[in-house]
Amino acid sequence: MSLVWVYAVRDGDADDPPAVSGVDGERPRVVAAGTLGAVVGTVADEGFDEAGLAAAMEDLARLEALARAHHAVVVEAGSAGAVAPVRLATVFRDDEAVVAMLRERADEFEAALDRVRGRREWGVKVYADTRAGGDDSPAPAPGDRPGTAYLLRRKADRDRGAAGRERARAVAESVADAAGTHAVDVRRFALQDARLSGRNEEMVLNATFLVDETQEAEFRAAVTGAGDGATVELTGPWPPFSFATADPP
Amino acid sequence: MPELPSRIDAQPDTVGRDLGRLVLTVVELLRQLMERQALRRVDAGDLPDEKIEALGVGLMRLEEAMVELREHFGLEPGDLNIDLGPLGNLLGPEAGQGR
Repeated sequence: MSLVWVYAVRDGDADDPPAVSGVDGERPRVVAAGTLGAVVGTVADEGFDEAGLAAAMEDLARLEALARAHHAVVVEAGSAGAVAPVRLATVFRDDEAVVAMLRERADEFEAALDRVRGRREWGVKVYADTRAGGDDSPAPAPGDRPGTAYLLRRKADRDRGAAGRERARAVAESVADAAGTHAVDVRRFALQDARLSGRNEEMVLNATFLVDETQEAEFRAAVTGAGDGATVELTGPWPPFSFATADPP
Repeated sequence: MPELPSRIDAQPDTVGRDLGRLVLTVVELLRQLMERQALRRVDAGDLPDEKIEALGVGLMRLEEAMVELREHFGLEPGDLNIDLGPLGNLLGPEAGQGR
């Protein structure tokens, strides 16, 4: 027995499967239905059935290996043309079930592919030191009143922090605006904790943009030129994970 | 991705430190709330100078005491900033990065 793992859906007329190994070390292939083609892989029953996948989600090492392989196939599939990535761990009984799913959701996939055709996804993260900023002048400290001096010092710290956060937010918005003028769509994500990125600065913008390939040079120039005084991190191009990912049925 | 502990270790030699950390975290949260409230009242300008001085001395002593207690338990300022997941950190993002 074997199962069918789905990586992505793309235009059916391109039927050259991605030349990279899949999640089970298998060679991906294409299952076509009408104008659509699903990039799939034949995977073993064991480890990829419901119980096997549930166990994999608990096992960070295995999950990482699955996610990397899935990602690599989607990237390769997207290098040839428009692609709608399918979420990790979408598995069907056999090819017939994949064909049925493609037919049933054809409108949805075609709309997603139309939305991202000729476009790629770029990630933009902005990091800024939210503590720097504002007036650095020491508060007037009456020497004979240590408690008052302490409170004034804390007040100055607080005001400086507020000014720094305000400035960081303004920088983030200016980068988002500059990027947005050359993008067709944007998704904003929750800001990540500084410890995850291993940086001292705080993340102030975590967004991803869908950019027309004809606009990429302008987009990149606008993003890297924006964000005065902050660190701007541009990643990509990616397949349009954030704009065309199909939910499992 | 950091490795997550599969269970909480309740070793006898660390349980005292962990309990100390928890208690200090609560005290630090209260101290910061009091300080913020005091600063708001200073901002509002309705406090007499003697009252401001008394508040300041009280908060300053409290902070000194916190530093001593933290050192006693071998804790960094950041150790008291408990991660509440989607709610963010208990003491805010900038807490515990040294001052």
